[in-house]
Amino acid sequence: MILTWRIMVRLGLLALFTVMAELSFFGKLSILGTSPDFATLVVMSLGLLGGSVTGAVAGFSIGLLIDTLSLETLGATALTLIAVGYLAGRYRESLGVPNRGTTALLGGGLTMVAWLCFAFLQLMLGLEADVSPLVGRDIVVASLLGALLAVPVQAGVRRLLRPALIDEDRPRASRPVAPTAVETR
Amino acid sequence: MYRKQVRRRRAVLLLLVVVSLTLLSLQFREGSGGPLHGFQRGVATVFSPLQGAADRAFKPGRDLVNWFDETFNARGDNKKLSEEVADLRDQLAISQAHQQQGEELKKLLDLSSAGLIPAGRTPVTARVIGRSPSVWYSTVTIDKGYGDDVHVDDPVVTGDGLAGRVSEVTRNSAQVTLITDHTSSVAARVEPVNATGVVEPQIGNPDDLLLDYVEKGTDIQETQQVVTAGFSGGGVASLYPPGIPIGEVSQSSLEEERAYQRVHIDPYADLRNMEFVQALVESGGKG
Repeated sequence: MILTWRIMVRLGLLALFTVMAELSFFGKLSILGTSPDFATLVVMSLGLLGGSVTGAVAGFSIGLLIDTLSLETLGATALTLIAVGYLAGRYRESLGVPNRGTTALLGGGLTMVAWLCFAFLQLMLGLEADVSPLVGRDIVVASLLGALLAVPVQAGVRRLLRPALIDEDRPRASRPVAPTAVETR
Repeated sequence: MYRKQVRRRRAVLLLLVVVSLTLLSLQFREGSGGPLHGFQRGVATVFSPLQGAADRAFKPGRDLVNWFDETFNARGDNKKLSEEVADLRDQLAISQAHQQQGEELKKLLDLSSAGLIPAGRTPVTARVIGRSPSVWYSTVTIDKGYGDDVHVDDPVVTGDGLAGRVSEVTRNSAQVTLITDHTSSVAARVEPVNATGVVEPQIGNPDDLLLDYVEKGTDIQETQQVVTAGFSGGGVASLYPPGIPIGEVSQSSLEEERAYQRVHIDPYADLRNMEFVQALVESGGKG
């Protein structure tokens, strides 16, 4: 990913939009008793497009903003989303750009990773109430929603950051390129 | 070159993890007046108008998605509701006879003291502009703060019953910890048997609360109402004034191995889909 000022501004606006949408739209939805995890999917998409460092930094930034604006424990969501962004980025660096089916699987899998990481953190921090078995159902449903939404979310993020992507397929030139001096000697 | 990239990647990851863990442990240790909490409140104050605007902008889309979910759920509830309608018809006939008597008595009572709002409290209506995206926290953000006399520990209600209490407050927004959050516990009593206990949530199941520490052997029946107990004495007072409805008994379990009786409660307030709440602030403010 080529980071210019314009792209940095786009990334900042994307992070802000993601946090607002997570807290004011997706967080207030109830689909089969749970809410889709939009922020995880955006961070995954950034990791898949930009690599592990971009993914981890995006996860940290978006997670910290969510923690700050929801007035929850600072660092908990950030730590979870760092893991998501880094894992998505490592996938891209090791195995290349995923196809649609793999993106959906990654969306489901990484949503599950994020929820399990967050659950682990909460258990480490200490809970003052019983945990219902329905939490397990919520994790499964959220992962399924993650798999469903992963492809459109990644397409949206890719479209927004297209000018910054190095290996983005561009439309071919309509007329042949003139041979250069080196080629013609 | 490749090794340098790997080292850089690992260094960035390590730095981010260390910063997150440091923030997490520092904030966990400091009190609510600490610098990190102050920073959070400052940022939330700046962003709350934007969050309010985003909430209103997203509302039509959110309503549409929630409508589909409710329609899906309603199909399963159809049979149960038909039976309830038959029961309610019978109750309506009895209620209409009582209504006339009730209206006469109602005139004799002061509405403000007999209603939901306890004496000494003034309701401040607020819009819910944000919700914690995780099942592990059960908090919402409202668009009223200390600029509207809302203070920490003020009780928050919906039109149906108790929702929670204010846990953090900024100038123009506040965080409400709902009664389904794992840190919540509410002193409550079952009416009319007057059995008291503590209402606690079950994480991940907002439709089922537990009334724990109820004296064993108390005859508690399904559909009995549970309200806040609002105790005070010995310099200690409950955060919640007495008499605010919480929910109704859905199941009472007698487990031999437990020293106390446990009662399941179906909360009145629809905590997942509320748009407006009322913070019950102290009349005249806290200064």
